[in-house]
Amino acid sequence: MTGVAAHNPSGHVDGGQRDTARRNHIPGESSMWFFVIGDLIIFGAYFVAYVYYRGRQPELFLESQARLNLDIGAANTIVLLTSSLFVALGTAAARSGKTADGARLFGIALALGATFPVLKLFEYAPEIVAGVTPGTNLFFMYYFVMTGLHLCHVMLGLVILSFVIRNLRGPAAPKISFVETAATYWHMVDVLWLVLFALLYVMR
Amino acid sequence: MTVYLRNPLTIVWALLTAVTVVSWLTARDPGAAHVLNATVTVVVLVIAAVKSQLVIWYFMEVRHAPWWLKATMAGWVAALFALLLGLYFGR
Repeated sequence: MTGVAAHNPSGHVDGGQRDTARRNHIPGESSMWFFVIGDLIIFGAYFVAYVYYRGRQPELFLESQARLNLDIGAANTIVLLTSSLFVALGTAAARSGKTADGARLFGIALALGATFPVLKLFEYAPEIVAGVTPGTNLFFMYYFVMTGLHLCHVMLGLVILSFVIRNLRGPAAPKISFVETAATYWHMVDVLWLVLFALLYVMR
Repeated sequence: MTVYLRNPLTIVWALLTAVTVVSWLTARDPGAAHVLNATVTVVVLVIAAVKSQLVIWYFMEVRHAPWWLKATMAGWVAALFALLLGLYFGR
């Protein structure tokens, strides 16, 4: 556990850390990483169950997949990827002491992140109006439970990103470990969506 | 802002987005019927695994993390996608 000693416990701006100084660095709080790993395992179990049941009723799953809005699914993938990029750039900016840049970059990330639930609403609404619900069949049960749980993660992520912006704009010195912890969570939300997009919308 | 365009993170993003657009257009093709297709599925799952690993490695900065975190995160990607492919073909 030598890596833990390399972690900067004060979490304050230390100005222009070089790459070599970041070796063996755990981004953000270790506790967030335990949450992230736990969450990845829970979602992983859902993904495995989905593919298992898909294999037992492939026709039903394929027919149901055809009823999804692929365009919104793909657009949301690009939205989250781009939002993640701005979070990564914002984290690097904040770390090198460019706090104002960091706040701006996190602001763009938040604006992009906020379009995800809006697009999701445009995806869910016509489905529900057409009478498609989690009770329709096993595919839609998995679809609504997995994307619904993921949407909850996105909503929480938006709140966390807002706190990061407030922290970067605030009068006090920004807490870099908090910025990194928030970034870690937001990127996890991105990773989960990448898998969901492949499993629900594109695999055959 | 040019400093952000030349950033390696932006290059990783461009790659991730390009791959997403390709899978989008492929799945959108009128010929891409909703029938069992092992080739499409393998390509889609491998691409998803690579994308996940890129986000974990570069955006989450796991490439700078201690070995146990690198191993855990890369292990999650490898184990998950191996299981998914195994279940797909084992049906």
